[in-house]
Amino acid sequence: MWMKKLLLLCVLGLMAAQTQAAELKRVSFDNGVQLIVEEDHSAPVAMVQIWLKVGGRDEVPGKTGLAHVFEHMMFKGSKKLEAGEYSKIISAMGGNDNAFTSTDYTAYFETIPSAEVNRVLSMEAERFAHLKLRDKDFQSEIKVIMEERRMRTEDDPNSRMFEELSAASLRLHPYRNPVIGWMQDLEALTIEDVRAFYKQHYVPANVTVVVVGDVDFKQVKRTVAKTFAKMKARKVAPRFNPTEPEPLGAKRVEVVIPAQLPLIAFTMPVPSWVPHHNDKQAAAIALATEMLAGGKSAILNQVLVNEKRVAIAAGAGYDPFTMGLDLWYAYGSTGIGQDTAKFEQAFWALMDKMGKELPNERKFEAAKRRMIANTVFSQDSLYLRAKHIGILETVGIGADEKDRWLDLIRAVTPEQVRDVFKTWFIQSRATTGLLLPKAVK
Amino acid sequence: MRLFYWVALIFFGITQAQATTPVQQHTMKNGLNIMLMEAHHVPMVAMKLIMPAGSRFDAQDKGGSAALLAAMLTDHTVKHDYLAWAGKLDDASILLGAGTDKDSLSISLTVLKEAMDEGIDAFSEALLQPGWDKQRFKLKQQNTISGLTKAQEEAGTFSAIAEGELLFPSHPYGHPTSGTLDSVKNITLRDLKTLYAQQVKPVGATLAMSGDITMDEAVKLVQRYLGNWHGAPKKVLADIEKPTPSDKKERHHVMDKHQMLIEWVRLGPSRHDDDYITMMVLNHMLGGGGFGSQLMEEIRERRGLTYGVYSYFQPYETHGAYIIRLQTRSDQAEEAEVVLKQVLADMTSGKITQDMLDKSKTNLMGGFAQRMDSNRERVGLLAMMGFYHRPLNYLENWTKSVESVTLADVLQGAKKYLQPDDWKQIWVGPEQER
Repeated sequence: MWMKKLLLLCVLGLMAAQTQAAELKRVSFDNGVQLIVEEDHSAPVAMVQIWLKVGGRDEVPGKTGLAHVFEHMMFKGSKKLEAGEYSKIISAMGGNDNAFTSTDYTAYFETIPSAEVNRVLSMEAERFAHLKLRDKDFQSEIKVIMEERRMRTEDDPNSRMFEELSAASLRLHPYRNPVIGWMQDLEALTIEDVRAFYKQHYVPANVTVVVVGDVDFKQVKRTVAKTFAKMKARKVAPRFNPTEPEPLGAKRVEVVIPAQLPLIAFTMPVPSWVPHHNDKQAAAIALATEMLAGGKSAILNQVLVNEKRVAIAAGAGYDPFTMGLDLWYAYGSTGIGQDTAKFEQAFWALMDKMGKELPNERKFEAAKRRMIANTVFSQDSLYLRAKHIGILETVGIGADEKDRWLDLIRAVTPEQVRDVFKTWFIQSRATTGLLLPKAVK
Repeated sequence: MRLFYWVALIFFGITQAQATTPVQQHTMKNGLNIMLMEAHHVPMVAMKLIMPAGSRFDAQDKGGSAALLAAMLTDHTVKHDYLAWAGKLDDASILLGAGTDKDSLSISLTVLKEAMDEGIDAFSEALLQPGWDKQRFKLKQQNTISGLTKAQEEAGTFSAIAEGELLFPSHPYGHPTSGTLDSVKNITLRDLKTLYAQQVKPVGATLAMSGDITMDEAVKLVQRYLGNWHGAPKKVLADIEKPTPSDKKERHHVMDKHQMLIEWVRLGPSRHDDDYITMMVLNHMLGGGGFGSQLMEEIRERRGLTYGVYSYFQPYETHGAYIIRLQTRSDQAEEAEVVLKQVLADMTSGKITQDMLDKSKTNLMGGFAQRMDSNRERVGLLAMMGFYHRPLNYLENWTKSVESVTLADVLQGAKKYLQPDDWKQIWVGPEQER
C-alpha cells in the first residue's frame, strides 16, 4: 500500500512538471488586441484561433441567436474575398476552418500547415475589419441556421427538454436563452440587426488571437502587429453580467413531446471560478462533480445505474470557466420499466448523504488524479490546448491562471467537497426538468 | 458551430505520416502484429487492439452480440468485479474502452507514460480474463434494450436499418452493429463466450500503439502481458462474400419530426479495391470535403436547404455502404432531392474540371500531417493499416497515390459510382407524398 502511494505521488509530481512545461508567450497591443502563443515544434502544424468577447449573453431580448448568426456571416465575404472563398483558400492549403459560438464567446479557428500561419492571420484580420454583410447572403444563411436549429433542438427530444429547463431555471441571467436562438427570434432577425451587432461587438478590444503549434512567437507578433493591431481602437461597453437572484424554492418544468423514454434533469446555479475570489469553492465544486460523473467509478453511475437501477445512464456537468455563474446540471435517462420519480428520490437521497459524510478517500484521490491526467491527455490535441487558453482569456479568468487551477484541485480537502453538497446541491435550489414522451406515430 | 467538424475529417480515409515519425512493425511469436509510431512530446501512450470479431460475426438473429461482448470485456474481469475494476482503473487514470464496427472489435487504452505498466496489465486482464458475470450481463442486456428504445427517437436509427434492408439483405453487414430490439433479446451469455472463444485471438489481430514509448519497450511489455495469448480465429477476415443489394429502390419510415432525413445509398468500394484512392478523391469533391464540395455548395450554400450534406463510403473488407445524407424541413425534401440528383447527374456526365480535382487533391495532401496530429488519431490509422494488411510504406506513398489520380480516373469513377439511377432512396420523417 505504501509502495502504491509512493508511485502515485511520483506520477503526480511528474504530471505537474509536464502540464506546466509549455510556456505561454503573450503581448497586448495598444488597441486592445491580445496575442497568446504556445510554441510546440513536434509537428509542422498550427492551430490559429481568433476569440471574441461576444456570445449569446450579449444579445438583447427578441434578438436571441444573433451572435451565432453573426458567426455564420463571417464566412459570407469581405472586401477582398467572395462568400465562401475564405474556406476555399484554407482548404487549398490543406487546412480546415470552422467556428463556434457559446454563451460567453465566439471563436474562429483554422488547422493549417504552420508555414501558412502569417497568411491566415492576415486573412482573419481582413474579414474582421471589412465584412460585407449583404442581405442576399443573410437571407440564405438564416434558412441554414433554422435547419440547424431543427436538427439540433426541435427534432432532438433531450435537447428540447434541456432548452426548456435552462429557460425555467434562471430568472435574469442570459444563460436562460439558447445560443442558437429561439425560432421566433430567428424568424424576425434582419440584416440591420446583424450590421448593428458587428459595429458594436467586432472591435479590436474584444479580440484575443491564440496560436498553438510550430510557430515562432516573434514572427507571429510581427504579423499581428501589422494586421489586427493596426485597427483603430474603439470603446467597448462592459459586458452584460447580471447577478442571478438566489432560488427561493424548488421549480419544475415538464416537456411533453414525441419521444420514446423519459429523461429527468436537475439544474442549480453555482459560482464559476473567479481567481483569488473563490478559488477553493470553485475547485471543490469541480472535484465534487468529477467524483459524481467522471471515470469508471463515477458515483452517479455506480449508485443510480448499477446499484439502485433507477436509470440506464446518469451524469452531471460543471463548467468552472465562465463569467461568474454556471448552470450546474445532473440527469438520469430512464429505461423501460424505470420510474423518474424513483430516480429523483434516489438522486436527492444520495446528495443528502454526501452532504453529511466525508467522501470516500480512494474515490476522492482518484478524482484528483483523473482531472490532472485529463489535462495531460488534452495536451495531445492542438485544438483543445488553444481552446482552453482562449476560453480562460475571454471569460476574464486569464490564460496565465491555467496551471494554478490544477494546484487548486490538488489542494481541495474532503471537507470542502462535503460542503459543496450541503451548500449548493440541494433540492430547494433546484429546477427539475422532465421529458415526458407523447405517443409517437 | 458553423458545421459539424468531425464529419468532414472522418471519411477522408487515410492521412499522411510525417517523415519524422516512421511506422514500425513487429510480429510477436503468437502472431500478434504490433504497429508503432513514436511521439515523445506528451508523456502518454495510446493503443488499440483490433480483431476480426465485429458485428458480421454475430450469430443469426443475434445481432448486437459483438457490441455486448465489447461492453462485457471492459466492465469487469474474473479477478475484479465491476466495482473493484472501476476502482483499479481510476486509481491510475487508465482509460479503457472497447468498440465494434462491421468487421472488427477493438479494445483501446490511453494511459500516462508512468502508469504504462499498470495500464497494459489492466488491458491484458480485460482481454484474457473475462469475468462473464451473469448479473452484469443481464443488466448490460436490459440497458442495451432500453438504449435501443431511446434511439428510436432518432431518424438515423431507422435509416441505418433501412440501409441494411436495401443494400445487405441476408448478408452479415445487414444488421446494425448495436443490434435491434428483436435481436438483442435473443443473445445469451453463452453466445458471447462462443464469439470470444472463436474470434478473440492474436493471429490476424493488430496492436497499434502511439506515444511516449519505443518498439523495444513495447515488445517487452507485450511479451510480458500478452505473451501467453495464443491461437487463430475460426473465421478469417477475408472470408466474406460481396453483398447483393435488394431489388427495392426506396424506403420511407414515417416519424413525427420537423425535418426529413434523406439518404441516398448504394454499395461503395471495399478497402481493397484498386479504385479506392480515386474514389476517396472523387468523394471529397462530391460531399466528403465539407464546404467546397459539390453537394454542400449546391444544397446549402446556394439554396440554404440544409445545415449539412455529406457523402461517405464505408470501406470494409468487402463492399460497405456509400451514403449521401442530409436533413431538411420536410416540405423542402423533394426540392433538395432534385438538386442532389442533378449534382450526381452532372458529375456522371463529365462536369468535373481539372481545377475541381486539383483543389480536392491539394486539400487532401496538404491536410495530411494535421489529420494525424494526436496519439489517438494515429492508433486508429495504424490499427486500420495492420487489420487490412496495408503495406508499411502506405503512409509514405499515400500522398503520391492521391497526386497520381487523374481527371480520367475520377471521370471513370463517377460513371461507375455516381449514376443517379443506381442509388436507393431512404426517407425518415413526416408522412408525405413523393
